[in-house]
Amino acid sequence: MLNLETYTLANGLRVVLNEDHSAPLVAVNLWYHVGSKNERRGRTGFAHLFEHMLFSGSLHVGNNEHFRYVQSVGGVLNGTTFFDRTNYFETLPSQYLALGLWLESDRMGFFLPALTQEKLDIQREVVKEERRQRYDNVPYGTAFERLLHLAFDPDYPYHWPTIGSMEDLSAASLDDIREFFATWYRPDNCVLTLVGDFATAEAKDLAEQYFGTIAAGQSFPPFDHIRKETRSERRETFASRVPLPRLYRLYHLPRMGDRDWIYSDLLSTVLTSDKASRLEKALVYDKKIATDVAAYVLPTEATGMMLVQATANAGVAVGEIEGAIDQEIERIVVDGITNEELTRAKNRAEVDQAHQLENYDARADLIGMLTTFFEDPTLVSTWLEPYRAAGVDDIVNVARRYLVPENRVTSIFMPEAA
Amino acid sequence: MSDDFRTSAPPPGPPRPYRFPRVTREALDNGLEILIAENHNAPLVAARALIRSGADRDNAELAGLASMTTELLDEGAATRDAIRLAEDLGLFGASLATGTDWDASYISIDVLSKNFEPSMTIFADIARRPMLPEPALQRVRSERLMELLQQREEPSAIAGKRFSNLLYGSGTYGNSVLGNPESVTRFTIGEVRRFYAQNFIPNNTAIVIAGDIDARSAVAGVTKLFADWKRGPEPPRPSISPKAIEQSRVYLIDRPNAVQSEIRVGHIGVARSTEDYFPLTVMNALLGGVFNSRINLNLRERHGYTYGARSAFAFRRQAGPFVVSAPVRNEVTLESVTEVLNELRRIRTGDIEKRELEDTKNYLAGVFPTTVQSASDIAGRLLDMELYDLPRDYFDRYRENIASVTAADVARVANKYIDPDRAIIVIVGNASQIREPLGTLGYPIDDLDVDGNLLPVA
Repeated sequence: MLNLETYTLANGLRVVLNEDHSAPLVAVNLWYHVGSKNERRGRTGFAHLFEHMLFSGSLHVGNNEHFRYVQSVGGVLNGTTFFDRTNYFETLPSQYLALGLWLESDRMGFFLPALTQEKLDIQREVVKEERRQRYDNVPYGTAFERLLHLAFDPDYPYHWPTIGSMEDLSAASLDDIREFFATWYRPDNCVLTLVGDFATAEAKDLAEQYFGTIAAGQSFPPFDHIRKETRSERRETFASRVPLPRLYRLYHLPRMGDRDWIYSDLLSTVLTSDKASRLEKALVYDKKIATDVAAYVLPTEATGMMLVQATANAGVAVGEIEGAIDQEIERIVVDGITNEELTRAKNRAEVDQAHQLENYDARADLIGMLTTFFEDPTLVSTWLEPYRAAGVDDIVNVARRYLVPENRVTSIFMPEAA
Repeated sequence: MSDDFRTSAPPPGPPRPYRFPRVTREALDNGLEILIAENHNAPLVAARALIRSGADRDNAELAGLASMTTELLDEGAATRDAIRLAEDLGLFGASLATGTDWDASYISIDVLSKNFEPSMTIFADIARRPMLPEPALQRVRSERLMELLQQREEPSAIAGKRFSNLLYGSGTYGNSVLGNPESVTRFTIGEVRRFYAQNFIPNNTAIVIAGDIDARSAVAGVTKLFADWKRGPEPPRPSISPKAIEQSRVYLIDRPNAVQSEIRVGHIGVARSTEDYFPLTVMNALLGGVFNSRINLNLRERHGYTYGARSAFAFRRQAGPFVVSAPVRNEVTLESVTEVLNELRRIRTGDIEKRELEDTKNYLAGVFPTTVQSASDIAGRLLDMELYDLPRDYFDRYRENIASVTAADVARVANKYIDPDRAIIVIVGNASQIREPLGTLGYPIDDLDVDGNLLPVA
């Protein structure tokens, strides 16, 4: 059981403290409850572009000085953006806890006075390069984007990936940045997690000093999008410069944390994790029709999804690997899985969590996620309970219920004709 | 309350002491080295076998043989076939990985400490009694060939391979660790088994264990599992045969639809054993090794040319490459190469600000504890220590060694080890858009195909 202290400042900032003196370090982690799902059409990619802007200085911290302050004392730092959230984090030698809080509170409270058009123009270019590097200039790079376009209707905000489109990135203006900041970057939309080598009472004083005077905001725009269930499979075949055909699938699931999402997480491990897992054994090891196969669920808040991908081996038609995947799923639905398979999947979940708790930074991030999505940091100690309690039938039931054609989309990447 | 505390960074509290975990060492009569470090922060153990044979033991005809051998280790061992091995490891909650880099091969197990002992039995079987079955070679070979095929369409993989090949030719460090389609097609199971027998011997191996274990009983456990392993003669290690570079030259690999140019600029670096390791580490961090380094700040934060640019010395047993790498949009390819060359020239002039030097040294010294939090991190440091014969107090003295580097040291090693006038410049990109601007660099330009063949002048 982790030693957690949780409370809320008067301005709504939720604070979670986990004092732990095993290493002379402190992890400072902020989860803002805003991501690409809070964007609107025509302004996609904005939450992520904004994350870049937040490293470009604030009233008392110069451009690029945020990085310098942290690195020059031996700290590491970064930020990431996903559909539902944006996180910012640094791990510092523990005597620099106040430095981390000073930096984070300055950009939460005093970002706008330092904003300039020039900074926006530079970061817009950097983000466009990120898109080129990770999506547009590599084989299969747009696969996830294509799956999302197929899986979610254009008015549902998971329709587009976090990186956004080039067109929308070009259109982002300073006014957009100001409005986004005012709407979402505020203490009552944030969880501050500190893990490591500090005295709790002292950390509380510092959190109050640095964050206590930052004003809460007005009401939040509602998120009222409901995903319309699909009645039949959506499919596409896309020819591009790829060497081998690859199949991408997305199955809709309930949101993260739902029991069926948890069982689907275990199911994904039964499907792919090692040579003995169902799809790896059938497609790669026994039939040798695929060079690789992977299945996993995503930690998403509004609705859930399982992704499956497999690459065809030389000379194998993509329909053959698709048929083999469906056959293996059918085998689970009809014949079930063994107790041993379930035990192995549970063991893997347990080891994964132990690894997440091992480092202060990963632990703080897990606590930040659980507090943001479920308003309960103590889940960090109980998260695995439904995993441990899962039975063979639970796993088979989610396979039967969710891994069906009408609940999925399929995108096939084919080598373009020479 | 006054808001004065906001106007400048708060001072630090008193520094807290940090010590690298104590290392217990043993050597068995058969030459096997054992290194153990206890760390009870989490109920996890990281066990590693280090075999001091990497792709550097491959000969050119059979490039990729070391990594193929390692990849086949978990295709069955002792009494368990591949599937049974995966099942039993799964029942212990143990993750197994095997891998090869230029200097060594590794077997890794990460496991909850309660299942450490039974997992180690399997670990020893994989190291000592792999089946290396013929059908597995056929399957994994086909997967490997497909992987190599995929890499022919990945700009960063193409750039990396062409760069290495231009520096080292077809010998050691000049191929991919994975080999090439011709060499991979050549392997027989007999060659795999011979490579295994010659290299997987106790006097070429170290066992490293870190985490939630008792050092004494871990040593006893390893001794029991490995003491009767038979030693063998030291296997041969081919030397690198780099080509001399008379003047800088551009090598252009055309990808007609590319929206970015993958840039590599560099030349031969220096071996890990260099006495200039600490000055070089500081110099490179300042030049392009960290986010706030000159090259990244220039290309990314000042100009917005790239999502990230970096420089690195590959410190290996023999002299690995020094390389600057950046993917940039087509339109600024020339400007990016020019800025990289400018930074390489500037660092040689001795124009080093006191503050950037202090920031860099403080980063390298201060970040160390952050990088050794987990059992797996600690095991990684012990592997380095063992592989590169580092002194026993290496990690205890690491921070003072960084702190003692001066601006004069930085300028000296920059001059000694960086030479923008004798560099190889590889660019994978849209030739029709970038060739003409690159001509203004004043260097000869060779057009290569994806396999490195010289193309006729257009």
